[in-house]
This record gives sequence, structure tokens and C-alpha cells, in this order.
Amino acid sequence: MYDIAGEHAAAIGAAIALLVIVWLVLRALSVLAHRRVGWAVALRDTYRATSAITKLAAVLMLVSGVIHLVLIPSHERITAVLFLVNGFGFIVLGVAAVFTSWWRRPAVLWLVATIVAYVVWVVAGWETPDQIGIACKLIELVALGLTLRLAQPGRRTWPRRIWRAVAFPLMASVTTLGIWVGGLAHPDALHAHAGAILQPVAGVATPEQRDAAARLLSDTRASIARYQDPAVAIAAGFKPGAVSSADPLRHFENSANANAVLDPNHPQALVYAQTTHGLQLIGAMYQMKRAGQWGPDPGGPLTQWHQHEGICFSPFGFEFSFETPFWTCPVGSTSITTPPMLHVWIVDNGKLGPFAADLDKTAEKQLQGS
Amino acid sequence: MSITSPAVTANTVPSTTNAPEIASVLVVTQASLSLVAGLSAIPFGIVEPGFRVLSLVTILVAIAMFWLARNLRRQRGWARRWVIALEAFSLVASLLLTVLPIGAMRGPVPVLVNLVMPAAVLALLISRSGRAAFARPGTTA
Repeated sequence: MYDIAGEHAAAIGAAIALLVIVWLVLRALSVLAHRRVGWAVALRDTYRATSAITKLAAVLMLVSGVIHLVLIPSHERITAVLFLVNGFGFIVLGVAAVFTSWWRRPAVLWLVATIVAYVVWVVAGWETPDQIGIACKLIELVALGLTLRLAQPGRRTWPRRIWRAVAFPLMASVTTLGIWVGGLAHPDALHAHAGAILQPVAGVATPEQRDAAARLLSDTRASIARYQDPAVAIAAGFKPGAVSSADPLRHFENSANANAVLDPNHPQALVYAQTTHGLQLIGAMYQMKRAGQWGPDPGGPLTQWHQHEGICFSPFGFEFSFETPFWTCPVGSTSITTPPMLHVWIVDNGKLGPFAADLDKTAEKQLQGS
Repeated sequence: MSITSPAVTANTVPSTTNAPEIASVLVVTQASLSLVAGLSAIPFGIVEPGFRVLSLVTILVAIAMFWLARNLRRQRGWARRWVIALEAFSLVASLLLTVLPIGAMRGPVPVLVNLVMPAAVLALLISRSGRAAFARPGTTA
């Protein structure tokens, strides 16, 4: 669900390059100080006297600053200006952390303002959350936590103690929820629903693609008609998937067909709906072998594959939930990404059509009531 | 801009306290992320009974991590041992998931959260300065 936007990828290289440059500068400083160069000795001694917690906060702010500066070309107008100001601000604060005594309060304000601004931008739909942005917020959250820990304890009243204990976890939790809400409220065009990413395709199908899609539908319908009875499917090697109270559809998978590619005679799975009179065959599912390996789409935009990302899978009871933007799942479940799949619905699938990622809700209700 | 005493005084924390402090901040961050993961699973628990249990367990683990972080900061040896055990388990599980072809570790965010942060906490607590910070007076680390 949260990918790396192509124009943001350079930020990873810039962050790594910054760490290498910082290390090289420190080595050079050490060499110069060893040779008794006055200013280098002073800088080295100041650096050495700085606590590790301050040094780490400084490096994290420098990394965030560089990421903001690198991302300026991929943003427009006000956002680009804010990135410029933000980037230089973080670099100044990162350097100031080692060499000055006034940096802590401005750093806390700068970090909080940056994180809050990102959440506002995402919730408003002005920025699409991607992994670079989310990783940057994680870096800033840790820098904020470190900076807050450097605070001199004031009067030990209970409200102050409680605020010190909850402020940072609250900030981290609100940030996570904000990014999540923003991402779900403003999905890009390639999200069928939360967790399903669609194959990029052309906007309009050609007449040839319409014919090919119709052929795929009729071939699939003809091929799987023999499996109306689930017992026949099981005898042919299809294994029933786990029953889920959350999903009335059951997939019967056949591992012997794993290597077939969009072959109507060898679909990877059959889809049945749980109805009042038992299981009813409603379609087939074609699936590729590896995540990110999109299958052939003879119907162009009509036969668009999809893969499920950002879902937490629990083997206990075969259940699913969504992972958080920081890629965390509940204990006992793990994040998974499925290989691309293409459903072919042989029942009337309403407005969504015979190749949609999901079964139409009205069709689903009718099937369940039948 | 002075580069001498005022800054040095303001930024200097006794070096033995740094490893527990940094580790506790990382553990609090992890606990916050776990708390949200646990809370977010509650709606799924309405229709998926397994996630009711997983969500409750996750929230309890997050609360335990907040407690451990607090006691790391107070340099309690038992907290250090518990955190080392938890982080080592988490790191090994993440490494195993990385090997499996299920797309569990794609991109910088899962790598930072599931590999770098547990590894950093482990390194801080196992390092010489980490051991020294938790050593009782009169014992050697």
C-alpha cells in the first residue's frame, strides 16, 4: 500500500551519502587534531564532550534535513518552499546541537511542527504518503524522543510527570493514525480498495482487447463449468481454502497449476460463494508466481491484474487485518504481499464487470440470500 | 558562536547513562507503534475472532514495553535482560520473514522498524557502555 514514489528514491542515496560524509568529516577532524591544528582540536574536543544522545539526535536531524532538500524538485510551490526552509532548518539545528546550548527547544518545536505539517498535508490530500516520507517521519520521531529526553527535569508535579510520560507516545500514535487516515481517504488511481494494488494499464480498451477479454471470459466459463460440484474440484486436485467468517467467498487452490500463466484450462484457483443451499461456483482466479510479476492482460484495461499489499495475515484462523503505515502488525500476524491475481467472475458482477478485483456487493448479497 | 564550555555543559550527560536513555527512546517508539497496531486490529476482531485475541495481546505487549522502557531508563538489570530477549526474538523472527517469499520486508520503513531498531537496541544494551550502565556498584561489566 505504501510504495516508494519513483521521484523520492534519490532520498535513500542522499541519506546514506550524508552518513558517509559525516563519518569522513569526523575522521578528517581527528587527523587534523592529531597534528595539533588549533581549530580542529577545539572542534574535536567539543564533539567528544557532547553526549551520545545529543550526537544521535543531531545526525537524525541532519538526515531529515538532507532528505527534505533532495525532495524539493519533486514538489511544487508552497510545499517545495517549506521543504527548503525545513531542510536548512534541520541542518542548522543538527550542527547547533553539537556546538551550542540553545538548540533543544527550537529543535523540539521544529520536529513537532514538521511532523504535524506532514500529517496535515497527508490528511488534506496534498501529499501521498510513501515509504520515504514515512521513514523520514520515523527518523524525526526518534530525534524528537531523544531531544525530549535531554530536558532538565522541572518541578516534579503529577501533571508534569504524566505529560512527560504520554507526550511522545501520543505524538507517535497520532502520527501513525494521521498518515493512515490520509492514505485511506486519498488512495491513488491504482488502489481498487485498501490493500489491493492494480496493474498499471492504458485508459481505454481497443476493439481487439475487447474481443480478447470476451474470449477469456467464455473460455474460462466453459473450462470451469465441470467444477460446479465442489467434490469434482477436490477430486481434480483443488484444495478448499480456510473458512473465514469475514469472507463468504472460498478459494479452492490447485498447486499443480502453479506454473500455468492465464490458462483457462489450468486456473490457479476456483472461487465459490457460500449460499443458503451450499457452495456455488462463481468464478476462477489466475495467479502469477511472484509478487510484482504482473501477468499478461489480453484485454488491456478490461483484464487488469491486482495484488494485495499491506495486509497482516494471521495463520491462527486464517484471518486478515491492515498493517499500519509503519509496517507493524498485531503480534502473531505478519505483513504479506500476494502475487498478482486476476479474477474472472462467471456470474453477473454488476457495474464492476467480469474481471474486477472484487465481487460486486449487490451480487454478493444476492448470492448469500439465494 | 561559542564552541566551548556552555554548549559542552548543556549537551553533556554522564556517558554511562546514554545507552539506557537511547535504548529507552527506541523501545518507547516501538511500543507506540505496537500500540497502534493492536488498537487498529480491534475493528477486525468484530468479524474475525482470532484478531480479538491478537489485538489484546499486542496492546498488552505494548504496555509491557512502555514499562520496560521506563525501567531501562532507571538502569534496572532485569529490564535490560527482558528487552534483550524481546528484541532478539523480534529480530530473529523478522530475519526469518525476510527469507520467506511473502513480501514481508519491502522498502526502508519495514527495514528500519523491524531490523534496524531491534538491532540498535540490542547493540546499545550488549555494548560495553550498555553493560557498564547496568552494572551494580562494585561489580565489573
